[in-house]
Amino acid sequence: MNESELIHKAQNGNKKALAQLVKAYEQTIYNFAFKICRDKNKAEHIMQETFYSMVKSLHQFDGKSKLSTWLYRIVSNHCLMLARKMKNRPFVSLEDDDGLFENKYAADWSTLPYKNTENEELKEILDYAINKLSPEYRMIFLLRDVEGLSTEETAQATDLSVPAVKSRLHRARAFLRKELNEAFQR
Amino acid sequence: MSKEKISCKEVMQHICNTLGEDLESERCLDIKKHLDECSGCKSYFKTVEITIDYYKKYNVEMPDGAHERLMKFLDLDDCD
Repeated sequence: MNESELIHKAQNGNKKALAQLVKAYEQTIYNFAFKICRDKNKAEHIMQETFYSMVKSLHQFDGKSKLSTWLYRIVSNHCLMLARKMKNRPFVSLEDDDGLFENKYAADWSTLPYKNTENEELKEILDYAINKLSPEYRMIFLLRDVEGLSTEETAQATDLSVPAVKSRLHRARAFLRKELNEAFQR
Repeated sequence: MSKEKISCKEVMQHICNTLGEDLESERCLDIKKHLDECSGCKSYFKTVEITIDYYKKYNVEMPDGAHERLMKFLDLDDCD
């Protein structure tokens, strides 16, 4: 059975079809939630809330966007809600992008020992860098570059305009690259 | 070619702004040409790509029991 048939059945109250849809997306949603909040318990909580919202409002899904984009929109909202509740630390401001594009003292990335991301030291560097970004910037970078949504889909999922997505994206990319470059020099 | 000379900072901004998009404007062609000739910008381009790639490959699996807890939470555990 293809996805649109499953959606149709689930919208008409078929619990098995609904369970299949949940199963098809649970890993993707968990992974995304983890990448935003960098915490396993919070990621599981966000995943549960996301699918609870999906079950409650699936009847409103009109098929104009992909189901995945619709789910990214829901999970993004839950991540932002949680982040706002926990507003206890300042994030880096990227409003002024002077200094983001410096290539001075560039580390030689070709000789880095990190061949894959199973390396714990590299994971720490990646976590540390992305945690400095506010969830609003983190989300755009993750949706567009990591999850591979188009710029338009990212805009749909976050209720932002395409130019706003592009502006946040290029700052987030430059910031993360700069942070990694600094970490690799140490 | 546009007359205004491109700075490395402009190229770096452009890389971050348009990576992954296919752009053929005159300014983009100038930037591509600059990239071919400037080792600093070329390495910057490469490192932005590597940055994205690292985050792309950094994935986590759902913890044990998370699927079962989810299905129970949604009252779908009898459909599993």
